[in-house]
Amino acid sequence: MIAFMLLGALALVGAVITITARNAVHAALGLVGTLLSVAGLFASLSASFLAAIQVIVYAGAILVLFLFVIMLLNANQPITGRDPVPFVRELAGIGGVILAGALAIIAFSYRDPRPLAEGAGALRGGTAVAVGETLLTRFLLPFEAVSILLLVAIVGSVALVKRPVPQPDGLTDAEGVALPTESPERTAPEGGVRA
Amino acid sequence: MDMAPTTYYVALSGLLFAIGMIGVLTRRTAILIFLSVELMLNAANLALVAFARSWGDLAGQTAVFIVMTLAAAEVAIGLAIIVAIFRKRETTNVDDLATLKG
Repeated sequence: MIAFMLLGALALVGAVITITARNAVHAALGLVGTLLSVAGLFASLSASFLAAIQVIVYAGAILVLFLFVIMLLNANQPITGRDPVPFVRELAGIGGVILAGALAIIAFSYRDPRPLAEGAGALRGGTAVAVGETLLTRFLLPFEAVSILLLVAIVGSVALVKRPVPQPDGLTDAEGVALPTESPERTAPEGGVRA
Repeated sequence: MDMAPTTYYVALSGLLFAIGMIGVLTRRTAILIFLSVELMLNAANLALVAFARSWGDLAGQTAVFIVMTLAAAEVAIGLAIIVAIFRKRETTNVDDLATLKG
């Protein structure tokens, strides 16, 4: 119970930093705090394998990717100037409070179908053995579908960030768009197209 | 052993989800909107794991495993799209990206 309170408070603090920090790097680091606290909460819910995966995949791989992109695009300065949507902060705050209230009502009307100790015992600690058995028997089809999805994601992300290769004739690029005749090798990023 | 009840976990998950939603609505940079979406995904994962313990069924934990894989794929593709947009427009401000014309 004490662990839940501590980790829950840390997760909430991290979440608030994530959505309020002016600097994008600080926001990402706030999210790291939330993700690590949620990993601790997973461990307290007898999901030890998921806790490890949360630290490795989320706090490790995904957040590093985020930090790379933030630094690559130099996006850590806040956007200044007037927000084109009026009262968006106030409305979002009201909507968030309503949503949180509705979800809290649902949460506190929930009754456990059986004693918690019994349910936690049936999970066998949520180890890699237990989760892996379920994954490769009852959830074999989703597991295989996810492998195809990952393949598509790899191909897609490579295709998206690849610079178009100029065609041999120098008149069109990889997408068939006519290039400016004076610079066939597209060094300046689409100066003519953007205007 | 003193276990926190399922309702507390689900309420915390709801709070995190609402905070993530506020972030999605108020942030103006595509990357930060993405970060808030990750927060919402994590809140949903927390609820799934809490319900898995409540029902004594590993299906919830397995679903979280698949959601994490999806989130990784989504981040890879999403950040690639953001980088591609940045190369073309030199901005990630979603207010400037409101046109359908490339």
